[in-house]
Amino acid sequence: MRNKIAYDIGRVYLAILGIVAFSFGAAEIMLSITGKELEWGILEMSGDFLAWRGLILLFTGLFYMVSIKNFTDIHQQAKAVMASVMIWIIAGMQIFGMIMGSIPGGEEGGWFSSGENFLAAYSAPYIPSLFLLPFSLVVIYYIYRLRRSEEREREA
Amino acid sequence: MKILLMGHPNVGKSVVFNRLTGANVTESNYPGTTVDYSKGYMRLEGEDVEVIDVPGTFSLEPKDKAEEVAVKMLEKNKKSAIICVIDSVKLERGLYLALEIIEEGYPVVIALNMWDIAQDKKIRIDIDKLSSILGVPVVPTTAISGEGIKELVSTIRKAAPVEIGRILKRSGVV
Amino acid sequence: MELTVDERWDLIDKISKQTITFGRYSHTLKDAIAEITVKPLTGIPIAIAVMYGFWSFFGAFAGFFTDGFFVKIFDEHWLPWLQKVFPGEGGFLYYILVGDPTADNCFEAFGMLTSGLFVAIGVVLPAIIAFYLFLIIMEDSGYLPRLAVLIDTILHKIGLHGFAIVPIVLSLGCNVPAVTATRTLETKKQRFMMATLLAIFIPCGAQLGMMIEIIPGYVGFVMLYLLIGFFVTGFVLNKIIPGRSPEILMDVPPYRMPTVRNIGRKMWMRVKGFLFVAIPFVMLGVLLVNVLYWWGVIDWLADILEPVLSAWFGVPKETVGPLLAAFLRKDLAIAQLSAIEMTTYQLITSVVLINLYFPCVATFAMILKEGKEGGCKSAPIFLLGSLATLVATVFLFGGLLHLIWIILGVA
Ligand SMILES: Nc1nc2c(ncn2[C@@H]2O[C@H](COP(=O)(O)OP(=O)(O)OP(=O)(O)O)[C@@H](O)[C@H]2O)c(=O)[nH]1
Ligand SMILES: [Mg+2]
Repeated sequence: MRNKIAYDIGRVYLAILGIVAFSFGAAEIMLSITGKELEWGILEMSGDFLAWRGLILLFTGLFYMVSIKNFTDIHQQAKAVMASVMIWIIAGMQIFGMIMGSIPGGEEGGWFSSGENFLAAYSAPYIPSLFLLPFSLVVIYYIYRLRRSEEREREA
Repeated sequence: MKILLMGHPNVGKSVVFNRLTGANVTESNYPGTTVDYSKGYMRLEGEDVEVIDVPGTFSLEPKDKAEEVAVKMLEKNKKSAIICVIDSVKLERGLYLALEIIEEGYPVVIALNMWDIAQDKKIRIDIDKLSSILGVPVVPTTAISGEGIKELVSTIRKAAPVEIGRILKRSGVV
Repeated sequence: MELTVDERWDLIDKISKQTITFGRYSHTLKDAIAEITVKPLTGIPIAIAVMYGFWSFFGAFAGFFTDGFFVKIFDEHWLPWLQKVFPGEGGFLYYILVGDPTADNCFEAFGMLTSGLFVAIGVVLPAIIAFYLFLIIMEDSGYLPRLAVLIDTILHKIGLHGFAIVPIVLSLGCNVPAVTATRTLETKKQRFMMATLLAIFIPCGAQLGMMIEIIPGYVGFVMLYLLIGFFVTGFVLNKIIPGRSPEILMDVPPYRMPTVRNIGRKMWMRVKGFLFVAIPFVMLGVLLVNVLYWWGVIDWLADILEPVLSAWFGVPKETVGPLLAAFLRKDLAIAQLSAIEMTTYQLITSVVLINLYFPCVATFAMILKEGKEGGCKSAPIFLLGSLATLVATVFLFGGLLHLIWIILGVA
């Protein structure tokens, strides 16, 4: 019984995450088609490869949403895992880019960047995938727990 | 004496080769990594023995140029002992090539590589039985961690040609 | 005694029945992931994400070293220092080693110690390290053969099969081992097609690194253009060359975690190869081009070839120099382009020309060797066929690009 509730909560979570990722992706694609950029508070949709990032997020959202059906099936869970991996690729590369960009001094400066410039490289706004990153980690934890409990059931 | 490593593509021949000789041949996780032969030396009972790593081949009838290299090396080194590397997860497929080589009259040792994966997949192989049916030494190995490589080396001397008729008899076919 | 194929399988059946037992095994998450990465519906989006990841990694990594540090080291410290202390300004040795005494960056100076070192160490080395890291992870994880399954249907259209992706991906590192990797293709026709297409259309890591430095905004366009060229030419070759293109069964290995040890070892071997083989070639290239300039050979050639270059391709006649250097190292040739005065569009055309035009000497030697091993008789045919394809594609795709610029009104 407890498991049933956990299942349902998990599925609602995935559905919401899926819809959010999908919408972000769709918005990024729309923006890149119209040639616009968006900055809204701490959220930004701009930069190189905007259309590609949008496309990947769109698929991420689809993967999450599709995985809800029959979530006990391991292949469905695999889709949710891969959707999370796709978010990590985008977010991870964004963070990697920030780190690599924050260290050199730039054209006018010295060899290494000053403290201020270093910190400025990490300040908001951020792209959507960075916001989705923590939520995608929850998915992995959830699936991990699910597998564990399934294994225990099988052994019992 | 020479030692030749034969086996299907991507079964871990190059890893075994690097373990035996300390060489630096490329190892990758896709079939067709090795497309040319390379030679190296290992010490066997105080003697320097030549070891040859060849491209993977599915059978002794080559289908492409890489397989051709392997089959040519086998034909060129009539006097060598063969370490037949087999992926334990796909034992049946691997045995086909091993039998072909045994039929040609070469002394063979079988290395059942990827033993770790076979264990994970709950595939159990009766090593002694396999060895007694075939009449050749069979050694389970996990080349990436080096497990079984020592045993493999120590059995090479025991390799001797086997008459295929006897294998047929022992397996109960005739 | 030898068995027939059926007898052998019967025997194997008997043996395995007595020796193998399969325990209960249920699919793990890893198996499930292995499956969904080859199914087109899920596999293609994942492949797009992987490619995106690689491309951004490449940009950030190479940018960090080249733009972040090496440009500064070479342009602000090394070049001015050399120009100051090197004796004999205006002399032959100065010209060869340091180059232009008034240049303020290492692209334009074009001496062996200035441009030669900068191109090799400052730009190309970081680029190929990033490339090889990606390649090695592709190779060791087991993703490469999965990409092969995904791309199988497309490659079938040009008479190749999915596994031809292996040489294609390898050639993004360097064309030389890629040509050797074509040995795993079954027929002579497939091997010829693949080796030729690779050498003509696929830029190597060194070239790509240079392109990103010189035409950062247009690399995507150039790659797309080359890819279209690859498929169009492949399609035509497949139609006109006799021979079969058989199907094969693809064996997809399981995913494995790449080990740091193997990554490190392979990286070191390849970087070593670059340091000992490529760098001397870059230096030799600078030397050769400088000597030819000094003797006036290049200016002479430029005047002769001007009609072709400017009328057909729409590029300035000075590109003769880089085109000559391209024979030794294409990365060097692209670097040289940046010192020539021309419009962005002419620059793009020139970069494409250098890509298409003659394979670098190392690749050329490898094609020669592979052709020879296909039997002595076929070697000249292999080579001549390659050359004919090459000349045709250079004129066709180079001219086409010029036409596109004319239509767009930017030429
Ligand atoms: N888990 C596991 N992996 C292994 C073992 N032996 C080799 N491998 C891996 O299997 C892959 C293939 O190894 P290689 O040695 O390149 O295979 P090969 O037989 O030389 O392949 P070709 O040259 O293509 O014919 C590599 O990724 C190795 O790390 C093993 O015993 N266990
Ligand atoms: Mg190998």
